[in-house]
Amino acid sequence: MPSGRSILSHLLFLVFLTPVALGATSSKEPIVVQDPQYGEVLFYFYQEDYFPALVRLLAARKQEQLTNHADEAELLLGGMYLSYGHHLEAAEIFERLLANNVDGDVRDRTWFFLAKIWYQRGYLVKAREALSYIQNDLPDNLQREALMLDAQILIDAGEYDAAVAKLRNWKGRTEWASYAKFNIGVALVRSGRVDEAAALLNELGEMDPFNEELTSLRDKANLALGYALLQDGQPYAARSPLQRVRLEGPFSNKALLGVGWADAEMDNFNRALVPWMELRGRDLLDSAVQESMLAIPYAMAKLDSISQAADHYLNAIEAFYEESNRLDSTISHIESGEFFDEFIANDPLDGTGWYWRLEELPEGPEARYLFHLLATHEFQEGLKNYRDLSYLYRNLDTWQQNIDVYANMLETRIEAYAERLPRVEESLASADIDGMVARKLEFDSTLNNIEESHDWLALATQSEFDMWGEITGLESTPVLREEIPEAAEVGDKIDLIKGVLQWQLERDFKDRLWRIRRDLRQTGAALVETQRSRRQIDQTMRQEPLRFDGLSDRVQSLSPRIESIKMRVEDALSRQRAFLQSIATGELQAQKDRLDVYTIQARFALAAIYDIAATAGEESE
Amino acid sequence: MDAGAATADARMMEAREAESREQFRSLDQDVQSLKKEVLDLNRDLFLLEEELLFPANSQVAFFISMDVGEYFELDSVTIKIDGKEVANYLYTEREADALIRGGVHRVHMANLKTGDHELIAIFTGKGPHVRDYRRGATINFDKGIGAKYVELEITDRVKKQQPEFVIKEWE
Repeated sequence: MPSGRSILSHLLFLVFLTPVALGATSSKEPIVVQDPQYGEVLFYFYQEDYFPALVRLLAARKQEQLTNHADEAELLLGGMYLSYGHHLEAAEIFERLLANNVDGDVRDRTWFFLAKIWYQRGYLVKAREALSYIQNDLPDNLQREALMLDAQILIDAGEYDAAVAKLRNWKGRTEWASYAKFNIGVALVRSGRVDEAAALLNELGEMDPFNEELTSLRDKANLALGYALLQDGQPYAARSPLQRVRLEGPFSNKALLGVGWADAEMDNFNRALVPWMELRGRDLLDSAVQESMLAIPYAMAKLDSISQAADHYLNAIEAFYEESNRLDSTISHIESGEFFDEFIANDPLDGTGWYWRLEELPEGPEARYLFHLLATHEFQEGLKNYRDLSYLYRNLDTWQQNIDVYANMLETRIEAYAERLPRVEESLASADIDGMVARKLEFDSTLNNIEESHDWLALATQSEFDMWGEITGLESTPVLREEIPEAAEVGDKIDLIKGVLQWQLERDFKDRLWRIRRDLRQTGAALVETQRSRRQIDQTMRQEPLRFDGLSDRVQSLSPRIESIKMRVEDALSRQRAFLQSIATGELQAQKDRLDVYTIQARFALAAIYDIAATAGEESE
Repeated sequence: MDAGAATADARMMEAREAESREQFRSLDQDVQSLKKEVLDLNRDLFLLEEELLFPANSQVAFFISMDVGEYFELDSVTIKIDGKEVANYLYTEREADALIRGGVHRVHMANLKTGDHELIAIFTGKGPHVRDYRRGATINFDKGIGAKYVELEITDRVKKQQPEFVIKEWE
C-alpha cells in the first residue's frame, strides 16, 4: 500500500481532476483497499455517483469501518462534497487537511480550485482569501488563470486600480495575456481613464489573431474601445476600431450601430445610414437592431426625407409592439413556473454535481430570449441548485415511502416475536439442562468407581448380564451339590462357561470404558454448547425487545425528520425557482422596457414630424 | 449618445448584479445546509435499513474486487450459497471500470445462520485473447455470531497469463 502522504497527494490530484481526467490518472495506479466498505465508496465514486458514495462513506465512518483509510476517506469526503456542490463543507475539510504537511503543488492547486468555485458561487471574499494562500507552486497555466481570477475579483469589486496594477505585471505572451489586456482596458474605461484604456485596447484591436477565440476577443476589444471613445465625445477616433469588427459575428450589430452613431455625431447622416440600413434585415431581438430602427428615421429626418422617416417610425412602432407582446407571453410562461420544471423533467437526475452544466435551454420561445443567460454564473449555479434540490426532493420522497414499509415490517416482526415467545419459553422450561448436567456428572463418578474397582461386570451388555445371572443362578442349583458324576460334569461345564464369559468381559473392559468415556465427553461438549446456546437465547430474549424499541424509536424519529426536511426542500425549491424566474423575467422585462422607451421615442419623433408637416402645410396655404 | 446616462446605466447594472449575487449567496447557503441535512438523514436511513434487513448477528456481505484485471474483462457474477442461487449480477462498462480502478462492489447481502456454509461464485467475461471465459470458485466458510464479509477477488496470475479467482474472508 502506498504511503499516507503520497496517497493524500494522489487523491487531492484525483479529486480535483474528477471526472475529466480521472481515467487517465488513476487507471494505472489503483488504490490498495484494506476495508471493503472503503472500496465500496470508491466503486460509486469512480462512477461519479457522488450521492450514494457520500452516503456510504458517512455510514461506514459512523460505524468505524474505515480504520485503515481514515486520511484518504476524509480527503475523498472533501472531494465528493465538492462534486456534490457542497462546497462550504468541502472547504472545511480541505482547510483542515491543508494545515497538515502536504506537497506545495497539491496545496496550491487545492486553494486555486476552491477560489475558482467560490468565485463562481459569488463568495468573493472567500475566493480572494483562498487565492492569497497560493505560494507560487502552481503550474504555469493555472498560475495565469489564478492571476486572471484575482484581477477579475478586483474588477467585480470595483477596485479597478488594483486590478490594473495586478495585470500590468503580466509578462505572458499567450491568449491569457490578451484576455488580461482586455480586462485591464475594461477596468480602465470603467474608472474613466479612457486614454490609457485606448492604448491597450487598440493594441488588441490591431492584433493578428491565430484562432477564432482571439478573433472574437479582437472584435470585443474594438467594440469596447469604439464605444468608450464615442462616450468620451471622440466620434472620429471611434470609427476606426468599430470598423475593424467583423461584419458577421456576435459583435457586428453593435459595431455597425456604433459606426452609424459616430458618423451621425459628426453630422454625416448620409454616411450613418449605410451601416444602419445594413442592420435593418437582421434579428430584431438584438438591441442594436432595435435601436437602428429608430436611428434610420432619425437620420432621414435630419436629411429632410420626412415622409420616409415617418414610414420608418411607423414600421418601428409596429415591430416593437409585436415584439413586446411576444415578450409578455414569454414572461407569463416563465412566471407560471412550468418553464423550469420542463428542463428538470427532461434531465435525468442521476449525475448531480459540480460539473453539471446546462448547455441548452428546452426548445421554445423562451430559448431565443434567454440563451445568453446561460453564460452567466448566477443563472448556471442557480440552475444547479434547483436541479440538486429536485434530486433531494425525490430522494426524500422515496425514503418517505420506504420508511412506512420499514415501520410495517418492524411491527410485523414485533408481533411475530411476541407470538413465538411463549412457545419458546415453554420448550425452554421443559428442557432441564441443569438436570442433564447433574446426570452427566453422576455418570462420570460412577464410571470412575467402575474403573477404580475394575468392575468389568458393570460394563456388560444386557444379554451378557442376563447370561451372567443365569450362570450364577445355575451354580446355586441344589442338585449340583449331589455326589453324582452327572452333577460334577455339569458343574465343570458351568465353570467353563462362566470363565469364558468373565474372560470376555475382562478383555473388553478397557475398550468399553474408553468408548463410554468418549461418549460422555461428547455429551459434556454438547451440554456445554447447549448451555452456551441457552445463554444466547436468554440474552437475545432480554435484548430483542430493547432492539425492537431502539429500531421503533429510530423509525418514529426519522419519519418526522424526513417530513420536515422535505418541507424545507420544497420551500427552498420554490425560492430557488422564484430567484431563477426573477433573473429570467428581469432580463425579459429589461428588453421590454427598452422596447417601450424606443416606442415612446418613435411616437414623439413621429408626432414632431406630423407637427412639422402640419406647420409646413399651414404655411403653404 | 449620452455618455453620462450610459455610465449611470452601467452603475445601476452593477448594483443590480451585486444585489442578485447577494440573493444567490443567501439561497446557496440554505441549499448547502439542506444538502448536509439530507446527507446525514440518508446516512441514518441507510444504517437503519441495513440493521433492519440484515441484523449484525446474521449478516453476511459478499464483495467483488479486481486487482489489475489484465487477463479478464468481467461481464457477470453468479453467487450460490449452499447450492441455492442468490445473486446474478451483470456489470456495465462503467462498473467494471470502477472495479479495475480499485472500487469494491457489494454484490449481495444475506442473512445466514451460524455454522458452516458453502459459497460458489461463477465469473463470466472475456479471458486472455478476448475469448469467452467462465470460471468458478468455491469456499466453505464458517458464519460466527457477528457480521461477516466475504470478498471475491479477481487477480492476474502473471506467470500463466491467466486470471485467478481468490476468495477472502473478513470478520
